[in-house]
Amino acid sequence: MKGKKKTMPKNDVHEEEAPLPSDKVPSPSVSDSDSDYEDSSADDDESSVSLDSQSESEFEEGSPENGRSGDLEAEGTESSVDEDIVNGEGSGNESSDLHQPGAESDSSEDEVAPRNTIGDVPLKWYEDEPHIGYDIKGKKIKKKEKQDKLDSFLANVDDSKSWRKIYDEYNDEVVELTKDEIKLVRRLLKNQAPHSDFDPYPDYVDWYKWEDAKHPLSNAPEPKRRFIPSKWEAKKVVQYVRAIRKGTITFDKPKEEDGPYLLWGDDSGSTEKSNHLAYIPAPKQKLPGHDESYNPPLEYIPTQEEINSYQLMFEEDRPKFIPKRFTSMRSIPSYENAMKESFERCLDLYLCPRVRKKRLNIDPESLKPKLPSRKELKPYPITCYIEYKGHEDAVTSISIEASGQWMASGSSDGTVRVWEVETGRCLRRWEVGEAVSCVSWNPLPDMHILAVSAGQDVLLLNTGLGDEELQNQIKELLWIDSSTASDDSGDKAPSVSWLKDDKHMGLRLRHFKTVTAVEWHRKGDYFSTVMPTGESRAVLIHQLSKKLTQKLPFKLHGLAVRSTFHPSRSIFFVCTKKNVRVYDLLKTKVIKKLDTGLREASSIAVHPGGDNLIVGSKEGKMCWFDMDLSSKPYKILKCHPKDINNVIFHRTYPLFASCSDDCTAYVFHGMVYSDLNQNPLIVPLEILRGHTSSNGRGILDCKFHPRQPWLFTAGADKLIKLYCH
Amino acid sequence: MNMNEESDEASARRIQVRFVTKLNAPFIVPSTAIAIPADLTRFGLSSLVNALIQSNDADYQPEPFDFLIDGEFVRMSLEQFLLAKGISAERILEIEYTRAVAPRKEEDPCLHDDWVSAVDGSSSRFFLTGCYDGLGRVWKGAGLCTHVLEGHSDAITSVSIINPEGLETVTVATASKDRTLRLWKLNTEEPVNQPMRVRAYKILRGHKSAVQSVAAQTSGEMVCSAAWDCTINLWQTNDFNAEDDLVSKKRKIGDQVEDSQLEGEAFTTLVGHTQCVSSVVWPQRESIFSASWDHSIRKWDVETGKNLSDIFCGKALNCLDIGGEGSVLIAAGGSDPVIRIWDPRKPGTSAPVFQFASHTSWVSACKWHDQSWFHLLSSSYDGKVMLWDLRTAWPLSVIESHSDKVLSADWWRSDSVISGGADSRLCISSDIPVK
Repeated sequence: MKGKKKTMPKNDVHEEEAPLPSDKVPSPSVSDSDSDYEDSSADDDESSVSLDSQSESEFEEGSPENGRSGDLEAEGTESSVDEDIVNGEGSGNESSDLHQPGAESDSSEDEVAPRNTIGDVPLKWYEDEPHIGYDIKGKKIKKKEKQDKLDSFLANVDDSKSWRKIYDEYNDEVVELTKDEIKLVRRLLKNQAPHSDFDPYPDYVDWYKWEDAKHPLSNAPEPKRRFIPSKWEAKKVVQYVRAIRKGTITFDKPKEEDGPYLLWGDDSGSTEKSNHLAYIPAPKQKLPGHDESYNPPLEYIPTQEEINSYQLMFEEDRPKFIPKRFTSMRSIPSYENAMKESFERCLDLYLCPRVRKKRLNIDPESLKPKLPSRKELKPYPITCYIEYKGHEDAVTSISIEASGQWMASGSSDGTVRVWEVETGRCLRRWEVGEAVSCVSWNPLPDMHILAVSAGQDVLLLNTGLGDEELQNQIKELLWIDSSTASDDSGDKAPSVSWLKDDKHMGLRLRHFKTVTAVEWHRKGDYFSTVMPTGESRAVLIHQLSKKLTQKLPFKLHGLAVRSTFHPSRSIFFVCTKKNVRVYDLLKTKVIKKLDTGLREASSIAVHPGGDNLIVGSKEGKMCWFDMDLSSKPYKILKCHPKDINNVIFHRTYPLFASCSDDCTAYVFHGMVYSDLNQNPLIVPLEILRGHTSSNGRGILDCKFHPRQPWLFTAGADKLIKLYCH
Repeated sequence: MNMNEESDEASARRIQVRFVTKLNAPFIVPSTAIAIPADLTRFGLSSLVNALIQSNDADYQPEPFDFLIDGEFVRMSLEQFLLAKGISAERILEIEYTRAVAPRKEEDPCLHDDWVSAVDGSSSRFFLTGCYDGLGRVWKGAGLCTHVLEGHSDAITSVSIINPEGLETVTVATASKDRTLRLWKLNTEEPVNQPMRVRAYKILRGHKSAVQSVAAQTSGEMVCSAAWDCTINLWQTNDFNAEDDLVSKKRKIGDQVEDSQLEGEAFTTLVGHTQCVSSVVWPQRESIFSASWDHSIRKWDVETGKNLSDIFCGKALNCLDIGGEGSVLIAAGGSDPVIRIWDPRKPGTSAPVFQFASHTSWVSACKWHDQSWFHLLSSSYDGKVMLWDLRTAWPLSVIESHSDKVLSADWWRSDSVISGGADSRLCISSDIPVK
C-alpha cells in the first residue's frame, strides 16, 4: 500500500497540477441551484460526521476511498474536516499536495488564500456587521455590496453557467463549480462513492493470517526480494519481447469454436475415421411389443394347437418367442436360455472376425454389360420345323449347297445323302463303304460337286444336279486318265494318289493317313484336306482343275485339326490343338499365330469379313479372335459342358453358332462393325435343343443356311434338324 | 316374344335369343325369341337348334351347326362370349347359325407311287395331281385315275388346270424339278377303264433351276412359272405352229412311233426376287402375285413386267393365294406355322390383317374357297389340313388324314378338300357345307 501510494504521485504530479487550480471550492456543499437545502443539511451533520471521519482518517491517512462509512451525505463536511487537518498540520501547499492527491477541494482552497479567519462560529454573529470577518492580517473583510435581487436574477438568466454558481456565505463570494465537481456532487446524490475508481467492496485480505502463523519455522522477516520485481523475470520478459518482435514466437490462433453439429446424427462416421479397430455398433433390437409383456393380452397367447403346430415347423421357421402369461412379476421364472445365449454370445465374440470386411454394395445386375434385347436381333433360328430322316447311324457332317436348295450329309453308316432342304426328301444316296467324316459342297452355285472324306479317301462326287451342260462340265472335270494316277513331286511315297472312281462316277483321292476334314476354297477349284496324323504333310491343298496336290510349304507345330480358307483373300488358316496359324499363300509366309489357350481345339470358323474367327474346343469353350486386336482371344465363351464339335458363321446374317456333344446348339449374335474402333458385339441368343444323345455324342455338325437365318444340325441320333426363325 | 316370359324369372342366367339363318328349307327354325341358359356352348346351341328343327320335321337328321354373333363365331360359352365382347345380355340376341364347316365324309385315298407334291381341283369334273415320280395324274374321283401324264424326268412340283371348264379337251400345265414345264391336252369326257397315258404337247424350257410353281391366266392363253433361279417366266400356251418362235422337234420312241412335241420359250421374264420364287398366282389378267424365299410378296404388271408393290413378311414364303372378300386378300404361308392374310386395299400398312397360327410346322399350301369370302384351307408339314374362317381365330376343322407332311391341298367342287402328302396318298375330305 505504502509503496504504491508513494510511487503513484510521482507520475501524477504533473497531471494533477492542471486540475488543481480549478478546484477552488474546498467545501462546496452539494447544491446545484438551491443551495439552501444543501447548506442546512450540511450544517446538521457537521459535528458528528467530522468526528467519525477524523478517527478514520487517522488510520487511513485521510484517503477518501476508505473513509466512506458515514460520510455519504455531505461533501462539504468532509472537505471541511480535511481542511481542518490540513490546517492543523500546518504544512505548506506542496506538502498537502503530496499527501492528499485525491482531496482536490482541500488543495484548491489552499491555493486561494483563505480570507476569512473567523473560524467556526455562527455567521449570525456577523449578520449585522459591515464586515464578514477578518483576514489573516486581522483586517476586516468588508461585505460586498448586496446585489439587487432583480439584477441578480437577470444576471442569472443571462449567464448560461449560473446554475453551477453558488454563493459562499462564509467568504461572501460566488463560486462556480467545475465539471468534475458537479460529477462528484451527482454521484453523492445517488449515494455512490464520490470517485468513480473507488471500489466499495474490495476483496478482504487477511494480512494477519499466514500458514505457520502460530508456529513459525523462522522468525525471519519477509525478505526484500519478495517486494521487488524479479530481475530474472524481467530478463525473461525481455527475451520474450525480443522473440515476439523477431517473430519466432507466434501466438496460437484462437481456438476454433465447434460449429453446429448433428446432435442425433449417425455416429458411425466418427468411428470409421479412427485407424484402429472400429467400433461396430450392435444391431438395433426391435422394441418389445405387447406380446412380449409378462402379462400380454389374451389374444396374443397362442392356443395349444398352435403351439403344437410350431413343433411341426422347421426350426428356423418357428417363432422365436412364444408369449406366455404370468399373473405377477414375481412368478416370472428366470430366463431359460440365459446360459445358452451367453455361451453363444461368447462364442460369437470369440469367433468374431477382427477385421472389418469392406463389402462392396454393388448391384450385380449393374455389372452386366448392357446387351440389346433378343427381340431386336431377330431373325435367328428358334424352332425346329423339319427333320431329315434316313441315316442309319450318326450323321457326322452336313453341307449346304450354295443356293440353299440342297443339303448333303455324311454318316458313319457309310452313306452320303443329298436332301431337298424345302421338303426333307432324300434325293440321292451313295454307299461310300466307310464312315464318312466330312462332306463339303463345292461353293460355286453351278458346280454341284461334293467332296466327301471317308477313311483315307477323299471322294469327289457328281451329285447329278443341274442341267446337261453343267453335267458335262462336271463330268469333264471329274474325269481323269488312269495313267496319271499318282502325283507328287515328292521323294518318298506319294502322299495322295488321284484315282478314278467308277462306282460313283467321281474321283478318289487316296491319302496315306485318315482324312478328317475337307474344305473348299471359295472359288471352287482348290480344296484342302487335313490328316491329323500326317505330321509334316498333315494339311494338303488340292487343285481340282489340274488334279494337283501340294503340301503346305510351312512347318506345322502341333496336331492339325482343321483348316480353312479366308473368305476373300489368299489366306489360309490351320487350326492345331493349341493355336491357330495364319498363312499367306501368295507370299508363302506365316502372318500370325493366334494363341487360343485351349486344351484341345476342335473347330474353326472365319467370319465372312475375314478379320474375326472363332475356335471351338473340346472342353466346351469357344474363343473369338479379333485378328486386328491381338493374338489373344477377344472373348472366351464358355457355354457348353461338353465338347464343341463345330462352330460356324452365317454368311450374310450376323449370326454364329456352336454345336456340342451336350445335344445343344447355341446361336449367338456376332456383329462385326466396319468401324475399327468398335469391338464386335456378341450376344447369346438361343439354345437349340431337340437332339438326343447317343453313345455319349450329341450334335456332331451344324451349318447355317446360306441365305436364310436357319441352322441345320446333324446329330448322333441319326437325325438332321432344321431350325428356322 | 312373350311366350318365354315365365322362364325368365326362373333363372337369372338366361339370355333371350333369336336364331336366324341364311340356310334353306330344312334348316329353318321359327324366328321367335327364346330364353336359353347362358352357359351353353356351341355344342349345346347346336343340339338346341337341332331339337327345334326336329320338332317341326320328324324326318330331319341332326346336323352340327356353327353360330355367329355380330359376325363372329362363338367359340366359348355364350356367357363368356358376351362378356369378352361386351355385348349386353339385356336385349334379344340374334344368333345366326350356319352348318358347321367340317368334312362329313372321308373318301378313299388315291394312292400314288411317291410323294404327292401338287394338286389342283379347279375343275369340277376332275382333279389333277403331281407326284415326285415325275408323273401327273388326272382323277375323276376317289381312286378313279383317268390319265397319267408322262414325260417329266424329275419330280413334279406344281400343276395347274389352264381352262378348267373346257368343253372337250382340257389343257393342263405341270412344273417340275427337271427345270421344264409341260403342257398337256386331255379329253376328260371319254370313258376309260385303264388310265390313259398322255404325252405333253408342249415343253417349256428356259428355267435354269427347279420350277416351283405354275399358274395360268384366267383366259388360259398364258401361264407363268416361278423357279429356284429367282425368276418368273411367262409362256404362251397356244399350240399353233408358229414356226418363228416355236421349234418343232421330232422324237422317236423305239423306231415305230413318231411323235411331235413343241418346245416353247419364255415370253417374258420377271426378274426382281433375290431368292427362290416359291409360288405364283395369276388372279387377274394384268397382274401376277409371287411369293418368294426372300421374304417378300410382289405384285407384277404383266404388260410392262414391272414390280408394282412389295409386301415384306420376314419369313421365307412357300405358298400364296388371292381370294376372299373382293378377291383381293392375299393369304400366304411359309417357313413358320402362321398363315398371314394381307389386305392390299388398306393403305399405309404392310402388317397382316389376320394371322392364323394353329399349325405346328411350315405351311405348305393355302387356298381360298372360290365362292366364299371367309373360308380358306391350309396344309402344313405337321400333317394337318385346316379349314379357316376369317370370322374366328381358331380353325373350323382340322383334317388329320395324313400321316406325314402335307405338301399340297386344294378345294374341289367347292365342297371337298383334296390334299396330297409325303405319305404318297391323296386324301379327299368331302361333303363340306361351305355355301
